[in-house]
Amino acid sequence: MSPVVVRDVRWRGFLAAVLLLAVLAVGLTGFAYGERSQRGNLIVSLDGELSPLKLPRDRAAPVSVRLDGGLQTADRTTLPRVTRVELGLPSEATLSTRGLPICRQQRLRNATAAEALSACRPALVGRGWIETQVVLPNQPPFAVRTHLLAFNGRVGGRRAVVMHASAVDPPTVAVIPFVIRRGEGRFGTALVANLSPALGPWPRFARFEVTLARRYSYRGKSRSYVSASCPIPRRFTAGFFSFAKATFKLANGKEISTGIARSCRAR
Amino acid sequence: MLRLISIASLAAALLLAPAAPAAEAPTREDYVERLEAICKPDNEATQRVMKGARADIKAERLAAAAAKFAKATEIFTGTVRAMKAVPRPSADRPKLSRWFGYLGDQEGYLRGVTDNLRANRAVKAQRLIARFIHSGNLANSVILPFGFDSCEFKFSRYG
Repeated sequence: MSPVVVRDVRWRGFLAAVLLLAVLAVGLTGFAYGERSQRGNLIVSLDGELSPLKLPRDRAAPVSVRLDGGLQTADRTTLPRVTRVELGLPSEATLSTRGLPICRQQRLRNATAAEALSACRPALVGRGWIETQVVLPNQPPFAVRTHLLAFNGRVGGRRAVVMHASAVDPPTVAVIPFVIRRGEGRFGTALVANLSPALGPWPRFARFEVTLARRYSYRGKSRSYVSASCPIPRRFTAGFFSFAKATFKLANGKEISTGIARSCRAR
Repeated sequence: MLRLISIASLAAALLLAPAAPAAEAPTREDYVERLEAICKPDNEATQRVMKGARADIKAERLAAAAAKFAKATEIFTGTVRAMKAVPRPSADRPKLSRWFGYLGDQEGYLRGVTDNLRANRAVKAQRLIARFIHSGNLANSVILPFGFDSCEFKFSRYG
């Protein structure tokens, strides 16, 4: 009788493992795009997280911010051209650039990822990727995924995150400066990029993922590029806040945006 | 007897008469337009009544926050009731009944948040807020192709 019981227990363990995997798979696919919103034929998506989730209630601690989002058409037709991207970050998070070296945009132009890193590594504040749909006349559109490096910079005297996007095949380099501005409403900080017409009519912004994080020291003090707190009362263990908002302005003048809410835990 | 039958048939005709146009299913565009007209003013009202709720919770004024959540729940319930009364496009009925299912869940969670804040049970209220947000996101994913704006769940409206 006992071997049967053992087999039964193993079987149950196997079933539990399969069920757990199934639940995880459903969970993962369910959140692969984060939150989505549709206007007409165009779908905008945004996902993201703060890491770590456990933060002090009354002071800011070093964190990393990951954002992942983009555009797609409901019927898989060609994407419209995007002229402006705005990423809103929560008031709970602050960007500190004090004492952080600045990377000049000229040093990134026509540079490969290795060259960009070698020129501006001390100013590196994040990494990621951008996927664009390239629409050439008389050819079906194709996707190009570029490696993304984010550097601390300045544009017109304002603080900026200068994104260097590059790919080996096809050889591609683009420098996209995101100016750091004061955000609206719940979003204390906004990163705004006007996509230059010099990029041409062919690349269509499709998806992106960027993680901003950098620890550095300045005047003997340890600092973080991104810091956040979880300002909730003692009686609560977690708080919810508007985490991020992505707004895309299209060449036809229309805008599409979506926002996401996330939680933090108090430590 | 004949008179009775004619009265009965007249009554039946009168009862069925309003049902005839209601049964005519609208197009998705018409449906979205009618629902947006319901949601828009209610959203603005929600934003008004929830003003300061975040600050109330931060300052541990749970009773004040509960009063705001109670008003928001009332608005939410009224909005869903009005939305339910609108005839649905026939092809979208299964999708919309799933959506209304999630909206019903949200209504329950919102009511639970109010009750728990009133009873000073902060952690329980916090858990229900998480479920409220999650159900809202699930609701949004069901009606994505409709392109709703005001009828889409947006956490930012709640304080």
